[in-house]
Amino acid sequence: MRWFRFAIFVSLVAVLQASLLLDIIALPPLSSKPNLLLILLVFFAIHSNTSNAIITSFAIGFAADISIGSTMGSQTISFGLFGTALAYLHRVIAIRKVHYQAFAIFITAFMTGTLAHFLAILRGQTTVPNIYSDILGKALYSAVVGPIFFLLASWLMRIKNHRFGRH
Amino acid sequence: MLFTWFMLTGLILLFAPQNLTNDLQFTFARIFRWPLTIGKNFSLYARTRQPASDATFDRKSQYENHITNLQEQLRLKQEEIIELSRLRVRHPALEKAGFIMADVIRYSINETRSELTINRGQNDGLVKGLFVLGDNSIIGKISEVSPRTARLKLFTDPASRIAVRIGNLNIDRLMQGGGKDEAKIRLLPTKYKVRVGDKVLAGKKPGFLDASMIIGVVARCERDDRNPSMWDITVKPVCDIERLNSITVIIMNPQN
Repeated sequence: MRWFRFAIFVSLVAVLQASLLLDIIALPPLSSKPNLLLILLVFFAIHSNTSNAIITSFAIGFAADISIGSTMGSQTISFGLFGTALAYLHRVIAIRKVHYQAFAIFITAFMTGTLAHFLAILRGQTTVPNIYSDILGKALYSAVVGPIFFLLASWLMRIKNHRFGRH
Repeated sequence: MLFTWFMLTGLILLFAPQNLTNDLQFTFARIFRWPLTIGKNFSLYARTRQPASDATFDRKSQYENHITNLQEQLRLKQEEIIELSRLRVRHPALEKAGFIMADVIRYSINETRSELTINRGQNDGLVKGLFVLGDNSIIGKISEVSPRTARLKLFTDPASRIAVRIGNLNIDRLMQGGGKDEAKIRLLPTKYKVRVGDKVLAGKKPGFLDASMIIGVVARCERDDRNPSMWDITVKPVCDIERLNSITVIIMNPQN
């Protein structure tokens, strides 16, 4: 694992996620945007060994917490929990095909979004209307964009992307 | 083990005081201020899609907003002028007086204190001791002045003392605030006929109030327990002070 490269890459994606640049590709009616950090979470969960996957999941979750400006800790916990679960699942079921990866991104996005929402409520934050539609919209958009973003991530991290391969 | 430690860290972050954790988010925003601003500019540019007339549009929008604000201010001033003209008609004795309308920004009314804070102050010509009108009746006097705000002590405040006259009796007495929503007049001999419902007028005070004006109404009139030859008169305001949104300060000798 190239940790320095990982840190730079995650920082860049966190800035991109926090900037309003993604608003350009936001889709109506809820201005849904893809969650690039979540796509990265799934990417590292299925392309690293288990211990690296745990570290990357929590690190990306922390980046999501400080960049998105959500309730601090909620994304760290939800990303860490589901990233680890995905890494363990990947040991049993290989997630290599593009549509499997898209499905994994969709499910992970929905689960992390929902858990982060509940943790925010637990911390006493007020909830927003249409929260589940928003989570669903982001999850769908991330699932569509995810496999394309995987190509960029695997090129930058010099990780072989076996999306079409059979192992 | 690794997972447990990270999870514990996440929980600490979640339940740590928000002012501490917010610092992390502010630090991120501070460090990456430049790329975040670039992103914002790009986004706004893409959303407006009016490259040729962007600057003109912005300026036009600013002017339109400014005009709307001015129109609203003009409407409020016109309403103020109408209200002040009515005051002069109702009180011919105050024809030469200046009136300053002010909005109440804070109420402090309880058993020990009856004060209002208004949004006019020294810069508007207010000084200590000026009388204040609410719903055409005297409600108190200016007690403290700062450049942009002033505090008004209601006549019901326990520390307030105002010379008053009851109804048609040609005798002045001192009225003292009695706490929440009432004031007391004592030391008036029982030989004077006072009835519940009699009007109480604030006495003239040269330089501050050139004509007597209504301040309250007699709500109760009983013999004083300590001195049965004197009345113990309870006076109530003639307006609902707690519902007042704006008041008028009387300046008897305006400089301008």
